[in-house]
Amino acid sequence: MASLLSSNTNVSSSFVRFSPSSHSQLLPSSLRETLPLPSSVRRRRGPFASRAVLQWNRKPQLAGETPRVVVITSGKGGVGKTTTTANIGLSLARLGFSVVAIDADVGLRNLDLLLGLENRVNYTAVEVLNGDCRLDQALVRDRRWPSLELLCISKPRSKLPLSFGSKAIIWIVDALRSRDAAPGPPDFVLIDCPAGIDAGFITAIAPANEAVLVTTPDITALRDADRVTGLLECDGIKDIKMIVNRIRTDLIRGEDMMSVLDVQEMLGLPLIGVIPEDSEVIKSTNRGHPLVLNQPPALAGLAFEQAAWRLVEQDSMTAVMLEEEPKKRGFFSFFGG
Amino acid sequence: MSSISNALSFIPFQSVNHHVIPPSLLLRAGNAANIEVLWFRKCRLSWSSQKACVFRVKAVGDSINSTGSEQVEDGAPVDFAAKASDSDRRVGALRVMIISLPSFVALVKRNAGSKYAMGIYIASTFVVIVARLILSRCKIQNKHGSVAELVRRGQLRSDRRGISNPLKYEDPFNNPQVKIEKNKSKVEMCGKVYRLAPVTLTQEEQLIHQRRRSRAYQWKRPTFFLKEGDPVPPGVDPDTVRWIPDNHPFASTATELDESLAQSNVFQKDGVPFRVRAEHEALQKKLENIQTSKTEMGIKQNNVPERERSAEPSTGPYDKVEPNPSPDHGNHNLDSSGNR
Repeated sequence: MASLLSSNTNVSSSFVRFSPSSHSQLLPSSLRETLPLPSSVRRRRGPFASRAVLQWNRKPQLAGETPRVVVITSGKGGVGKTTTTANIGLSLARLGFSVVAIDADVGLRNLDLLLGLENRVNYTAVEVLNGDCRLDQALVRDRRWPSLELLCISKPRSKLPLSFGSKAIIWIVDALRSRDAAPGPPDFVLIDCPAGIDAGFITAIAPANEAVLVTTPDITALRDADRVTGLLECDGIKDIKMIVNRIRTDLIRGEDMMSVLDVQEMLGLPLIGVIPEDSEVIKSTNRGHPLVLNQPPALAGLAFEQAAWRLVEQDSMTAVMLEEEPKKRGFFSFFGG
Repeated sequence: MSSISNALSFIPFQSVNHHVIPPSLLLRAGNAANIEVLWFRKCRLSWSSQKACVFRVKAVGDSINSTGSEQVEDGAPVDFAAKASDSDRRVGALRVMIISLPSFVALVKRNAGSKYAMGIYIASTFVVIVARLILSRCKIQNKHGSVAELVRRGQLRSDRRGISNPLKYEDPFNNPQVKIEKNKSKVEMCGKVYRLAPVTLTQEEQLIHQRRRSRAYQWKRPTFFLKEGDPVPPGVDPDTVRWIPDNHPFASTATELDESLAQSNVFQKDGVPFRVRAEHEALQKKLENIQTSKTEMGIKQNNVPERERSAEPSTGPYDKVEPNPSPDHGNHNLDSSGNR
């Protein structure tokens, strides 16, 4: 549903308008050479070139310097930050980028559950700080897509020493950036921010260069989202994009829910995704099997895939879905056909 | 059937060449004057001129010439009487041949007496069916634990197997699930069609929103976390201090770790982690101390009787008490070593 077209501000966003075969040819060769290739792409040239079970024939062009540190935040709780982190993280991994997802929710972590990795979290960042383990030992690699790694900040009942301020998470990101071991430095570091603007929020946004604001089209979430956007801008994070979650076209049609364009008018942020309300989300959450792995793909899963693609290309939507068109009734519809 | 064949037979044009049929019997149906409508018993066949070009009609018997007069073919008169008798002979031979063939019912009736043979046939068929069933079951049992069986039991996903080809779509915007119309007014996702509207947000509007927010939310990210009541360190901007309440559920400001040590822990790439190494060293040191203390005690135990003997040579055998160090004594030794 959300799919929507990409803006024409970016050279790499031309994929929507041109045929796939012509896409790479339309880019100037010099530009193609200068475009940074993700490290995973470079690694694919090896003998075991991951004929990786990639679902997409084409890959998005990675824009910006790696690792890109993206904080996924919202202000209000329950809007889908963790779901977004899990699905976008896994989408990026499926697209061939190496991703480290950090669950920065101190005390109330859930990202491990959504990724189905809860039984494999033995060490967290707190143990790394204490010297109980090394950072690479605390990273949990997803067996389905090994280019996705999870790092939890703390165990449910343990306490993160805040006397270091936000330095701890900055050290972690710096250590990942300078990683020489087998996976190399990641292409993306996704930080799942806790709700609110408390110490957890301050810790989570500290190392970020860009932000994805997740909101739902209701007035409470929008007010919190506006405040969080203001804090992020005050902190120097200017690259903020928005995902509008849990859209229901039937309510929009009856004017019982704000449309995506209304939300955008209120917040003034570029969109990278519109996620429809989908019953598959709760099923995938309970199973620990992210939505984007569903076969056949679900509506919300496809929307997450598109959002991940735009995130890679630093692109934004130029058109959004308004309402669902009624189905055309055939000749035999009168007879129930 | 024989009567029909007696009356009329349609022979495709090419097959005519393989049969010895006198050309005079072949009526060129294309000639509408010769044949318009043929009546044979109660069958009425209408011939169009187009169909007549494809087939030739072979008429036999009395119906060769409805008028009874002689026909002229290629300028020569045709003797229909002689040719009719020739064809009568051929048809008669064909009829005899057909009649001489025993019918299926007659065959069955004739063999109905051999019940034993029928019973054997049925029994053998039954045995073959049973044998095939047993063989197929054996095959399934042999496949226990195979990948195919794991997939069948739902323990392995068929789309994740190495031998299967994964679904490959073009990209998330162009695939069987997502189709965007050329004029970008509609998009079809998962079978549902949605109307699209262009985004109207401009750069200017974004800047206006940014300015509004910067006026509304003037904020500095706190860099110092202090417990409520703690004094602000000198040289620290109070705006950058975050006060953590005493009863904060998840976070604490107090830590036993040194900041530089924590940083080095994070950046440690290989080797034994700091705390594990420290604990290991401490344990090893403790063990060494215990061992040294034990050896010292052992030496003391060995030395004590000699010293006692040398110090008190006149004491009786009952006065010699074996030194039995109490637990307190041992602990005292350990305490003195500074390990407990």
